Amino acid sequence: MPTEFSFNFPLPNGLHARPASAFEEAARPFACEITFINDRTDAQASVKSVLGMVSTGTLPGDPCRIVFDGADEASAREELRRFVAEKLPHCDDPPLESIKVPGEISLPPCLRDAGAVLWKAKSAAPGIGIGRIVRLSDAIVPDDRGAGATVDAPQERECLLNALLALDRTYAERMKEITERVALGLLQAHRAMARDPALKAWLLAAISGRNCTATQAVLAAQDHFAGVFTASASTLLRERALDVRDVCRQLIRELKGSPPGPPVVLTRDSIVTAEGLTPSDLLGLDRRFLKGLALAKIGAASHTVILARSFGIPCVIDIADFPVARWEGQDAIVDGELGLLAVGLTADARRYYEMEQWRLNARHVRAQRLTALPGQTADGARLEIASNISRPDEAAPAIAAGAESIGLFRTEMLFMDRNEAPGEEEQYQAYSRALRDAGGRTVIIRTLDIGGDKPVAWLKLPAEQNPMLGSRGARLYPRIESLIRTQIRALLRASVNGQLRVMIPMIAGVAEARWVKRVFDEERARLVEQGTRLDSVPLGAMVEIPSAAFELNALCHELDFFSIGSNDLIHYFTATDRGTSTALDDPLAPAFLRLLKKIVDDSHAASRWIGLCGEMGGNVQCLPLLVGLGLDEISVPIASVAAIKDRLAPLMAAECRRLLTDALDCTTADEVRTLMQQREPRRPIPLFAEEFVVLDSRAATKAEAIKTLCDTLYVTGRTDSPRQIEDAIWKREAVYSTGFGYGCAIPHCKTGAVAANSLCILRSQEPIPWGDDGASASVIILLALRDNDEAAEHLKIISRLARLLMHETFRENLISVKTPAAMTAFLAEQIGLSASKNPASAVLNLEV
Amino acid sequence: MKIVAVTACPTGIAHTFMAAEQLEKTARRLGHQIKVETQGSMGVENELTQADIDAAGVAILACDITIEKMERFERVKKIEVSPQEAIKNPEGVIAKACS
Repeated sequence: MPTEFSFNFPLPNGLHARPASAFEEAARPFACEITFINDRTDAQASVKSVLGMVSTGTLPGDPCRIVFDGADEASAREELRRFVAEKLPHCDDPPLESIKVPGEISLPPCLRDAGAVLWKAKSAAPGIGIGRIVRLSDAIVPDDRGAGATVDAPQERECLLNALLALDRTYAERMKEITERVALGLLQAHRAMARDPALKAWLLAAISGRNCTATQAVLAAQDHFAGVFTASASTLLRERALDVRDVCRQLIRELKGSPPGPPVVLTRDSIVTAEGLTPSDLLGLDRRFLKGLALAKIGAASHTVILARSFGIPCVIDIADFPVARWEGQDAIVDGELGLLAVGLTADARRYYEMEQWRLNARHVRAQRLTALPGQTADGARLEIASNISRPDEAAPAIAAGAESIGLFRTEMLFMDRNEAPGEEEQYQAYSRALRDAGGRTVIIRTLDIGGDKPVAWLKLPAEQNPMLGSRGARLYPRIESLIRTQIRALLRASVNGQLRVMIPMIAGVAEARWVKRVFDEERARLVEQGTRLDSVPLGAMVEIPSAAFELNALCHELDFFSIGSNDLIHYFTATDRGTSTALDDPLAPAFLRLLKKIVDDSHAASRWIGLCGEMGGNVQCLPLLVGLGLDEISVPIASVAAIKDRLAPLMAAECRRLLTDALDCTTADEVRTLMQQREPRRPIPLFAEEFVVLDSRAATKAEAIKTLCDTLYVTGRTDSPRQIEDAIWKREAVYSTGFGYGCAIPHCKTGAVAANSLCILRSQEPIPWGDDGASASVIILLALRDNDEAAEHLKIISRLARLLMHETFRENLISVKTPAAMTAFLAEQIGLSASKNPASAVLNLEV
Repeated sequence: MKIVAVTACPTGIAHTFMAAEQLEKTARRLGHQIKVETQGSMGVENELTQADIDAAGVAILACDITIEKMERFERVKKIEVSPQEAIKNPEGVIAKACS
């Protein structure tokens, strides 16, 4: 009897080729018919057809159903359910809207007056790229056989089938050469389209029904399927028509026996301009020389643009009527910041773009430096920021993203999506890879946590009425003992490849911990007996069942460390379940906070290390309370590491502890929330810091000096839109020049574009013409204050500074101090403030 | 001479205070008594009372925006200059006021 389940489509970009190919992959092993139904559009398609799935026009939030009919429908349903719940949400990039695309902004004066030819376009991928213009003509492969010729249908049929097989092989080959995640996902999606049974059936029917050649059939299929996308209500899905064209064009190349090569050979730094550019074309270009893309008819949400962004190639689109013949072979600049193509470059224009490249590089370098700093509060309390991973190859990207260690490596993924358990050697390789890639940092690997919401078909476990409260995690181990022994052996052997800790999931009490510990010790003894070299491996457990929290004293005798699994813990604690969200499972509920406090305090009383690896760790709102708890570590998704570190740095641990104490006295989660809104336990943001001083600047004009200062605010993280500050500064200059004589100028503005009130100083090598009256300045003090900011202390400092500027000795000192540090110390002393060193970034705090 | 002054500028964060400092410093050096009110982004500071103004021989209004409580200066001799002028040439402004 057919069975089904329903869900709301979760992905922000709708159902396009990449998620559809992931669906197809999940459905492929099953024999039954699996039909995807969109109840909003009333469209349906086989889950095994990527083109069909994408044609359903499914948008975020659409009510969808999947119906299963056939012999293995029950297991197919289980598998797809799990896929939708766990994997699907990670099948796509964040919504495109969240990627910064600069809006309409007036040209910065130094570029406006530089004399280059600026071709207006739209920014699609950020960055600045310089190279020679290379034109790529849109090489649609025409069918060289004229219409009306006699067609040998069986022969065309065979050609087509061979070409489809060859294309599948070509994709497989190219996927081997590529390591980037986005590109790999895209090739996988294109490959799934190429072997879509719906495409093959359509092509074969066209050959026999329309009396056409294989090539003509492919061109007709391209129009047909691309037409389906073009009719979609969603811009994003409309732009997916490009993927169909791409696949069809690759297929035609195979039919013609010419395997895809680069569309053009680049031999030096190049800016490639084209009407359209398919993802395959882009992948074919030599990226060593590809410095920028200027495209006419490619959408911002197309996979071509998504690829360019993932490779860091600056890209502008919508470039209309650009006379490429006039500029071909000459130097050009793709300006992905302002959305321009600059040609006819002058010395001033090159100088402007050198400044732009400095701005972008310096910010990148600074972000990387901050990413590498250890997790620490402003008052010096350590909180290790680790990352959760599910696959061994995620360890390296996690560390690169700033994770100090791997706080949770879930091993379930190794055991799912297959027909039998992975062998000891395969597991050994996987664990060793993660340990090696972590480069000496701790990796906490969790033993198998299956059952409950993570069924594994080949284990053939009996169905349970309530799997979340049934046989799952450690309580299942005695029934799958040989499997667990294999995993523990693989782990112990891998221990020599890095800093391994092993963690047991779903411990309800001491008995389970002892069972695992016994198996652990037995396997270790056996390996040692065999002469295998092992390192010591701490053994710990997740705290995710409330009873474990109340047996911690005993557990501390058995185990070396703990990590709180906040997701399961809150649901078991409040008798709620993961699927239905209620107000009850609020992590800010005082009762839950009290439970966390007890767990942390009991662990520390027994000198045990305690971390947290649930969703609560990645929730920036909860961070002050987690700091207040005094956890040793929190482990968060890779994508959250940088944001969490950023939020942690200005927090004051002492105030976080007081905040937690007060939160524990609240009666409801809403009270806690209100309390947290009222009290921000962070260090005040200083007005001025050493990194805001630019000495010996080569800025030669007022415009360059103002740009340098605004860019400095960008580089130091005070603003994301330096252009907006620049605009506001020039608006103020238009009232009357802020050069007040005596070799000084004080450009200033109030703007919402700056994150905090900021004071920035530039000293130029040569005097810069500044005033309307020909006065020049070599000390430029820029003030960017927030609109409506009530920071009266900052205003007081600035008024004091303004008064001091009227004194000659003060100005002479500004001109003569030798280093940014000396400048900072001098200002701190003169404005009568005490300098306090920030341990993280040596920021001088000019708070009174 | 007893001088009172008010300084004010468009954003109220720099020129208001530079002009005030310049007038105070220069007037004292030249042997005058001076009290300067600033109308900046922190609001009115060192506010002039009616008695201050009535006792003064002259009022210098170094402002390029409309200031608050202008009516206080109805009965006193006053000169109006821009804050920039007060910053660049305070001696000239004071000489003009005292003439």
